[in-house]
Amino acid sequence: MTIALAVPDIVVARARAGDVDALEALYRAFETPVYTLARRILRNAEDAEDVLQETFLEVVKSIAQYRGEGHLWGWIRQIAASKALMKIRREQVRATEELDDEGTGRHGTPVGLAIDLERAFLRLSETSRAVVWLHDVEGFTHEEIAERMGKTVSFSKSQLARAHARLRTMLDTGEEQR
Amino acid sequence: MTHCTMDDLLALQANEASGSARAHLAECAACREELDRLYQRAAQLKALPALTPPRDRWPAIRRAVVAARSRRVWRMRFSGLAAAAALAGLALLWPIGLRRSYGDEIAKAKQQSAVLDSTLQEYDPDSRVVSGQSAALAAQIEDQIAAIDGELVRLSAAQADGAAPDLAKLWRQRVDLMQKLLNVRVTRAAYVGL
Repeated sequence: MTIALAVPDIVVARARAGDVDALEALYRAFETPVYTLARRILRNAEDAEDVLQETFLEVVKSIAQYRGEGHLWGWIRQIAASKALMKIRREQVRATEELDDEGTGRHGTPVGLAIDLERAFLRLSETSRAVVWLHDVEGFTHEEIAERMGKTVSFSKSQLARAHARLRTMLDTGEEQR
Repeated sequence: MTHCTMDDLLALQANEASGSARAHLAECAACREELDRLYQRAAQLKALPALTPPRDRWPAIRRAVVAARSRRVWRMRFSGLAAAAALAGLALLWPIGLRRSYGDEIAKAKQQSAVLDSTLQEYDPDSRVVSGQSAALAAQIEDQIAAIDGELVRLSAAQADGAAPDLAKLWRQRVDLMQKLLNVRVTRAAYVGL
């Protein structure tokens, strides 16, 4: 996923001053990466859209406090990740996720058909997807993930290892349902 | 050493592996291949296409921004109103017989209004997801409250005799509208599953 995320400083300054057109420019610049992050993690597309909206409501509310330290996308990404993880916590679908991790999820195809990485990734639980996506793609540390999930660093590390082991198995055997 | 576990491979990827794991990797082609596959999976995930939101959420966000500004305006008016009422010494305007009953009613309505306002603030509506319909309804109610606040300020500033019944009526209307506004906020939150 390669997206141009540069936003002119003048737009950021105007957004911080509350200019609605500048806020829309920020939204247009970041809606795709924010939605992509949320959608890759969350199973439900509408949940991902809600995360997109909640993220930008937070951006609008807090942009005045953004001091320009670090890349703007890094700041927005932190908000988006927190909102997505909050969504997972709220729904408390851990029991369902456990089932899905065992390969008994809802999006099955006949056993033996080869699947690609994207589809294998979709077979993981939302928690596993969150850890893999934030760590491997977005570059979050285990400490950052653990903090946002309200879990320990060990939890984040074990989730990552478990998810990769699961991906490896699925890709090796073409397994989607067991 | 037996072959590297996934934990070992991830530790190797993060340059946090033990000496024994690194030593094993140097000697084991199978584990080097596994580590390479781990790197490839991460690279392939990064290369997955970006996903575009199916619907434009900006209009809803914009409505929320405008509604939040409207709320700030009438909160400022409300604060000004409270100060004006205190300065005006409303109790002095009313006949003795009616003063107590209207005064009690107004005091009670003010207290209810303050509690509702505080509840709404604690609910933090600015950070919630807004549907277009509920945002429009909330904005409409806020406009009505703002109009009442303006009328309250005008009556208070005029210090007119016989204003107490109108003031009491306006304060009752304000409480009713605040309750409606809170209901809209809570209903909307329940709707999106917050």
